[in-house]
Amino acid sequence: MGKSEAAEKARNVRFVILDIHGVLTDNTLYYTQDGIKSELFSLHDRLGVKALVDSGIGVSFLTSKISRADEQMGKIYGIPPESLWGSSAKIGRLDEFEKDSGLKDENICYVGDEMIDLGIMKRVFFSVAPADASEEARGVADYITAAGGGKGVVRELAQFILEAQGKWGAFVEQFK
Amino acid sequence: MAFEKDINDARGRARKVKLFAHDIHGVLTANTLFCDVEGNRRYGFWHMDGFGDLSLTANEIKIAYIDTTSIDGEGLFRAKELKLDKFYYPTTDKAAKLEELKTEMGIDDLEIGYLGCELSDVKAMRKVGFAVATATPSTRSKLSPTTSPRPPAAGAP
Repeated sequence: MGKSEAAEKARNVRFVILDIHGVLTDNTLYYTQDGIKSELFSLHDRLGVKALVDSGIGVSFLTSKISRADEQMGKIYGIPPESLWGSSAKIGRLDEFEKDSGLKDENICYVGDEMIDLGIMKRVFFSVAPADASEEARGVADYITAAGGGKGVVRELAQFILEAQGKWGAFVEQFK
Repeated sequence: MAFEKDINDARGRARKVKLFAHDIHGVLTANTLFCDVEGNRRYGFWHMDGFGDLSLTANEIKIAYIDTTSIDGEGLFRAKELKLDKFYYPTTDKAAKLEELKTEMGIDDLEIGYLGCELSDVKAMRKVGFAVATATPSTRSKLSPTTSPRPPAAGAP
């Protein structure tokens, strides 16, 4: 899909669902010698989430299980606890959200990087994969970011969506 | 790409600098953080940036760490380690802080250098005589007369 077709789809987005591992992180697990696990997140994405939320677009995390690290990152990114979704049944969670919110597939953007994401990526109207996502995820995505996972995917996507919707200039204005 | 703008113009602007200010995240760090399963956070700073800042200080150019984004005080930790904590300024309005420092030092905007990386730096970058952006590819670096040849947390200052 070309960039202009992707931008056309991005115009309808009212809510962005983000997979965590491989999207907000670089998909690497870092262990200390004591076995304590860390993951690497981008602070550029904090601005990306702010841009979306300030412009009236909702954001949630969706992963099989929300960890304490994910909760901390939710706080740092400004995502409310009720938007941190832990579920392996991603399509089931989407069904539940659409029923509660009244939003439709046409309003949803999903960002994923692996085969577990393919079902939901095919279903939503606008699907996105990071540059270093699996071949299968990149194959079904409407848009592939230049950034890899954990390196500013959300920052880049936010600008793409808001430019498509004509809202980016207003967001940037507050910094001038 | 390094110095994609007019290098001679940038050198001319750099010669006038008496106060060199910079952001923390995205400049001294790669704009990333490690978060462990207990929620503890860690930040990576490139150690030779300390050499850069201290080299300027040794040549009577004042340093200012202008920080709006530190989460756990990590900007201050780094400034303390380099004994630059006196020049660490947590603030929400970077341009206003530069204005304050300018008055305090009795200098003008052309004698201020500022190194930034994000939208939150734009106002400060527009104000100063010598604005520098990190090599992170983005339209925001176009605001700067100079782009550092190094990406953030790899020796940008």
